Amino acid sequence: MANKQHEHAHDEEHEHIGIPGYLGVFAVLVVGTILTYWVATVDLDWIFPGANTLVALLIAFTKMTCVMLFFMHVYWSPKLIWLAALASFFWLAIMFSYTMGDYLTRSSGVFSP
Amino acid sequence: MATHAETLDHEHYHPPGLQHQFEDMKQQEESVSIGMWLFLAQEIMFFGGLFTVYLVFRSRFPMAFAAGSNHLDAFWGGLNTLVLIVSSLTMALTVYYAQKGNRNMQVILIVLTMFFGAVFLGVKAIEYTDKYNSGLVPVTGLNKRAVGGEAHASTNFVLPFETRASATAAEGGHGDAPYVNPKGDFVWTDTSLISNALKEQAADPEGSYLTTAERYGYFSNGNIDANKFRDKVRIFFWIYFVMTGLHALHMVVGLGLMAWLGWKAWLGTYGPDYYMPVEMSGLYWHFVDIVWIFLFPLLYLLGRHFIHA
Amino acid sequence: MQNVDALDAAYNDRPTKNYLNNGYTLKSWLLTKDHKRIAIMYLVSVSVFFLMGGLYAATIRLELLTPASDLLESGTYNKVFTQHGILMIFFFLIPSIPAVLGNFLLPIMIGAKDLALPRINLLSLYLYWVGGALTLWALTQGGVDTGWTFYTPYSTSFSNTFVMAVGLGIFINGFSSILTGLNFIVTVHTMRAPGMTWFRLPLFVWAQYATSLIMVLGTPVVAITILLVAIERVARVGIFDPSIGGDPILFQHLFWFYSHPAVYIMVLPGMGVVSELISNFSRKKIFGYEFIAFSSIAIAVFGFLVWGHHMFVSGQSIYAGLVFSFLTMVVAIPSAIKMFNWSATLYKGSISFDTPMLYGLGFMGLFLIGGLTGLFLGSMGLVVHLTDTYFVVAHFHYVMVGGQVIAYLGGIHYWWPKITGKMYSEFWGKVSAMLIFVGFNLTFFPQFILGYLGMPRRYASYPAEMQVLNIFSTAGASVLGIGLLMPVIYLAHSLFYGKNAGPNPWMLPGLEWRTASPPPTENFETTPVVTWEAYEFGEESGLDLEGARRRESVTTV
Repeated sequence: MANKQHEHAHDEEHEHIGIPGYLGVFAVLVVGTILTYWVATVDLDWIFPGANTLVALLIAFTKMTCVMLFFMHVYWSPKLIWLAALASFFWLAIMFSYTMGDYLTRSSGVFSP
Repeated sequence: MATHAETLDHEHYHPPGLQHQFEDMKQQEESVSIGMWLFLAQEIMFFGGLFTVYLVFRSRFPMAFAAGSNHLDAFWGGLNTLVLIVSSLTMALTVYYAQKGNRNMQVILIVLTMFFGAVFLGVKAIEYTDKYNSGLVPVTGLNKRAVGGEAHASTNFVLPFETRASATAAEGGHGDAPYVNPKGDFVWTDTSLISNALKEQAADPEGSYLTTAERYGYFSNGNIDANKFRDKVRIFFWIYFVMTGLHALHMVVGLGLMAWLGWKAWLGTYGPDYYMPVEMSGLYWHFVDIVWIFLFPLLYLLGRHFIHA
Repeated sequence: MQNVDALDAAYNDRPTKNYLNNGYTLKSWLLTKDHKRIAIMYLVSVSVFFLMGGLYAATIRLELLTPASDLLESGTYNKVFTQHGILMIFFFLIPSIPAVLGNFLLPIMIGAKDLALPRINLLSLYLYWVGGALTLWALTQGGVDTGWTFYTPYSTSFSNTFVMAVGLGIFINGFSSILTGLNFIVTVHTMRAPGMTWFRLPLFVWAQYATSLIMVLGTPVVAITILLVAIERVARVGIFDPSIGGDPILFQHLFWFYSHPAVYIMVLPGMGVVSELISNFSRKKIFGYEFIAFSSIAIAVFGFLVWGHHMFVSGQSIYAGLVFSFLTMVVAIPSAIKMFNWSATLYKGSISFDTPMLYGLGFMGLFLIGGLTGLFLGSMGLVVHLTDTYFVVAHFHYVMVGGQVIAYLGGIHYWWPKITGKMYSEFWGKVSAMLIFVGFNLTFFPQFILGYLGMPRRYASYPAEMQVLNIFSTAGASVLGIGLLMPVIYLAHSLFYGKNAGPNPWMLPGLEWRTASPPPTENFETTPVVTWEAYEFGEESGLDLEGARRRESVTTV
């Protein structure tokens, strides 16, 4: 991996998506923000309790993905970077799921004190 | 044994910014990039601990969280979200122009990024001050008091469209003036969300409107206990302050980073041959933005549908 | 040429320019970017903390000589065992092998000039010093009595001791750990010499890599948790106070999410050292290289899934306990794989019982006992009886002292000639290794029995019928203490009077043995090109090891 290369790291995709691309992603993010604000005022509990939160989280995930892939250039990064980024979320998931696994399975009832 | 030579490899052109332990720029760029992503990974775990705390308490006391969240001003929160997104755009463009070697645009965009970052912090200051005025800071003594038990005329930083807690107790302050709070306590008396939930529960006995913890946690002897509810709302506000406070601290560090970066960019340090510091600073800035992207809906937009329904 | 020189038995001059004499000023040490100098500074610092933690341990054992709480009253005893734990775990065990041996050897073993991020390395050292200084200051002001585990709500609401200061010291120290881990991961990915592929890496490097993964992903969680405790002590909001709806178990979840993987931070580097010792002192290629390499990664990953086994009796749900118990059994498997592979390596090897090998073999036996007793504690039925007894204390001392400290000492002795260019006295090395082994077992084996009999941990007094076993334990501790002090003396002595070691005193094929002892600042005269496999004792290593050994046996008196 660490081969001797005397050229500079000049890859032609330096530009990645260019200014129009960045502005496009920006537009997506702004729309997402306005959308999440508006949806929060609409009661979605008739679908299932907690639907509002799920929608909000989905929008937030989409925004995060846009920022990570395009602003943070993960889309053009080596696989190791993808792995580092994904691994952190995987570890976060471990922490959330096993902790909630305890609380959700307590015999004194769900979410008891 | 031969004594070591001054340089180990043959002399060749040393690109600016190449550190001695690296063979070439590509190795340095790769190393710095992996290093920065690992740093972000640990930052994710750092905030992750707080999100876990949020997750546990939110699942236990959803009503208290909804009530507290309604008293956060989603307007300011939403504005801050947009401000950070704009700053992310300017940051991404800074990296773009650094790669192109355009010094002037870099500096302009870094200054803009800093400007928006400062706006973010300014809005947070407004919000925190409002909490202080409204008796919503969870630490006793850190809320606005009223001298001698009398209500003050509103002289402090109170903007027309900011929210207030209904912190005036029944026997306390009056009208438009802030509240009476001699010890600077956290004040909360609004239990309407629980009453609503109980009504809905009565109308729909099969459904579940309160969690088990809430059935114990908000009531004493079968009646709604406002103090107990207040304690749970206080937990919400503690989480709010710690999470947004830690985030704001990261913003301040980010601003410092930007100042340093702006200075170096002004000196013309960055160009197509050497722009990694800009890219790495950008990664940090985007990360801070992403944390806020999650904080905003989770803190500000809970239960908003309760009041609008 | 370098390869031939590495075996020249006649060559034992110290190289004129090495990393030790490359600058004598204080500034050249305190502002160094050389990973080797940073490692030496860590060596001195962790030794100081080990000594202090050891003094606290001596105090504990003295108190426990008699059933009554006569030497110390309970409150003071609480402080003593707390501080013993904090100093040993956070300031000695966690940094020891990574920051000392890892820092020194990792770049050399992969053929690099330095770590990828030397200034970050220096920052790690500074953070370690600052965190350590803050903690030590707090100890002089009265210390903490919460147990190293800082359980809430005692630590947040009731303890009148310096929880915040110590907590902040540990918080700062945590970032030292994170940055070291980060540095190692980057270095292994990007700084390997030509020909040094992943599967030619020494297993010590694999172990450090796995450890670094844990450091980066786990330490931030304990950092935020301790920060929350510190904030709680000031704000007194009560998120860990059950009377207002808070949750003490939440603290335990967050705390153990790191602190269980932390024990793997402590033991994995030890296992890496043992892989080196067993293979090299059997003069045989290690058995099952890939298995050992992947088992290190497996331990790092699975180690994050078992933290609930510290919380079986805390009120955690039984189903969660079930899952954690099962996964605890699973996480033992990679460790067992290593034990089997080491044993297979010994089989038909040409074993030499030098001091490092004594430590390596000691690790195998003691870690076996420690690891197996961990399985006792991982089964939910048994743990109800054994939890919070001396059985637990004995278990973790077997793995941490009998495992990690033994491995650390083995590594220090093994690489001492490389680090200092001097050989220590083999006689005293063997004597102290024996003393440590005997003293250690005499100290901690009785504690298994005491725990089974029901003696609770963290108590200053105990029933009179348990006194005999406690006396054995204290006697063992005295022997152990002497055994641990001896290396300080003879290793220091070797710095001045030891024989020059030459580049490859043990006659081994590893890359670190192909440069001078002590190494030059850039580690290698020219960047090495690796064409041989790890632990290659045959001709492919490029060195005539057997020929050198024959010459040595003829010429040595």
